[in-house]
Amino acid sequence: MTFIERDGTRREVDAPLGLSVLEIAHRHGIDIEGACEGSLACSTCHVVVDPTWFAKLEAPTEDEEDMLDLAFDLQRTSRLGCQIVMTPGLDGLVVRLPAGSRNMLNA
Amino acid sequence: MTHPRPNRPAERYIYLDYQATTPCDPRVVEAMLPWFTESFGNPHSAEHAMGRIAEAAVEHARGEVAGLIGAEAREIVFTSGATESNNIAIKGAARFAARMDNPRRRIVTAVTEHKCVLQAVGDLAEEGFEPVFLPVGADGLVDPDALRAALAQPTLLVSVMAVNNEIGVVQDIAALAAIAHAAGALLHTDAAQAAGKIALDVEAQSIDLASISGHKLYGPKGVGALYVRRRPRVRLEPLFSGGGQERGLRSGTLPTPLIVGLGEACRLAAEEMDAEAARIGTLRDRLLARLDAAIPGLILNGSREQRIPGNVNLTFPAGSAAALMAAAPALCVSTGSACSSAAIEPSYVLRALGLGDAAAGRTLRIGIGRFTSAADVDAAAALLIEAHAAAPVA
Repeated sequence: MTFIERDGTRREVDAPLGLSVLEIAHRHGIDIEGACEGSLACSTCHVVVDPTWFAKLEAPTEDEEDMLDLAFDLQRTSRLGCQIVMTPGLDGLVVRLPAGSRNMLNA
Repeated sequence: MTHPRPNRPAERYIYLDYQATTPCDPRVVEAMLPWFTESFGNPHSAEHAMGRIAEAAVEHARGEVAGLIGAEAREIVFTSGATESNNIAIKGAARFAARMDNPRRRIVTAVTEHKCVLQAVGDLAEEGFEPVFLPVGADGLVDPDALRAALAQPTLLVSVMAVNNEIGVVQDIAALAAIAHAAGALLHTDAAQAAGKIALDVEAQSIDLASISGHKLYGPKGVGALYVRRRPRVRLEPLFSGGGQERGLRSGTLPTPLIVGLGEACRLAAEEMDAEAARIGTLRDRLLARLDAAIPGLILNGSREQRIPGNVNLTFPAGSAAALMAAAPALCVSTGSACSSAAIEPSYVLRALGLGDAAAGRTLRIGIGRFTSAADVDAAAALLIEAHAAAPVA
């Protein structure tokens, strides 16, 4: 899969099946915080999914939507990285890091 | 110095202006009091017990507000009142849509809306949105076909008040919501005059956003709420920057005492609404019967059937509203909405019904409520009949 970093750099990385986008980002040193480590208690792993890929994802749960309500720089194709789990169908997924996160003093 | 007793501002006044404001119910005041002094904690101070006690009170109140309109507690955002709720709903929905590159620009409302809705919608023209103001029929109701026609252009939001503040007419929100949704628009309703007076159910009526005011339903002034639908999710751009309270939608420390009061007011309304509506309806009929018998040619403005029991808006055959009020200074009624009653300009709501300036100038709004007695109504009728008899023929 590919991460597009805040400065526009594209980082193509290995995306093992069963791992979340957040876990993949952490393995490769991509700058996504994930303060609650995937427990749906924050919005710091917010990513903006490439529109062509967005429709291929399963719909977010209400709990994820609740957290997205709080996400900084929310976009139409925003998701939480911890909730996107790699499947064969997502091979080649592209996500962009948003402008910033709500945990701004720690950024 | 002596202070007037609650709900009895002075024995010499007869208060019949319940659409302008209602007195706080003494049970509401009692519920609020400890939260000013003993339990003053900041409801956002989650680190200590006093903060958490206040937070629990706020969340309990949130549940009561939600319960009144068939919502979930987490769909309720506390605000300073319906004006703020209306502004957050309308500007927030428009600005969020624009930020998501939603191409829809049209916002549809009715000419008889409260000033704050008309202004909020109108102000959005400067930001590239397209306000549309629907006319109403002589009965004060929005014509569903007129709404359908307006929605031929892709529309972002439809905002129609549930109950009008001057003429008390009840719009068919469920029908209008169905039309709005069929066209892909959101439905907001200013429910300030409706909440606690008529049954509201955000699910059954398919409402996306609803504004509530504390002081219109026997709660305190300075507090209100906005219902924001969660499924399917409605998102809004906040108006305030700040600490991100109320799920980021309304920053600012919540006023625990006022919120507790609003919650108690909503609980009482939910419990007593049916009985109260019946009692007030009887008083309304009694007032109208007395006035009708003594003043031939008296006209009731707005739909006769589709209205709340606690409001009559009457055009008198003679005199002027100002002269009638001057002749009966003990009677607290109004010529229009409280916001515009100081203005010389005739009510735009009455004009929208087709009343000329002369007829509008002979019109009074009379509001009956929880603390109105049969004796109040009889005295008011007598005062109005006497004042009208002395007025010059129009």
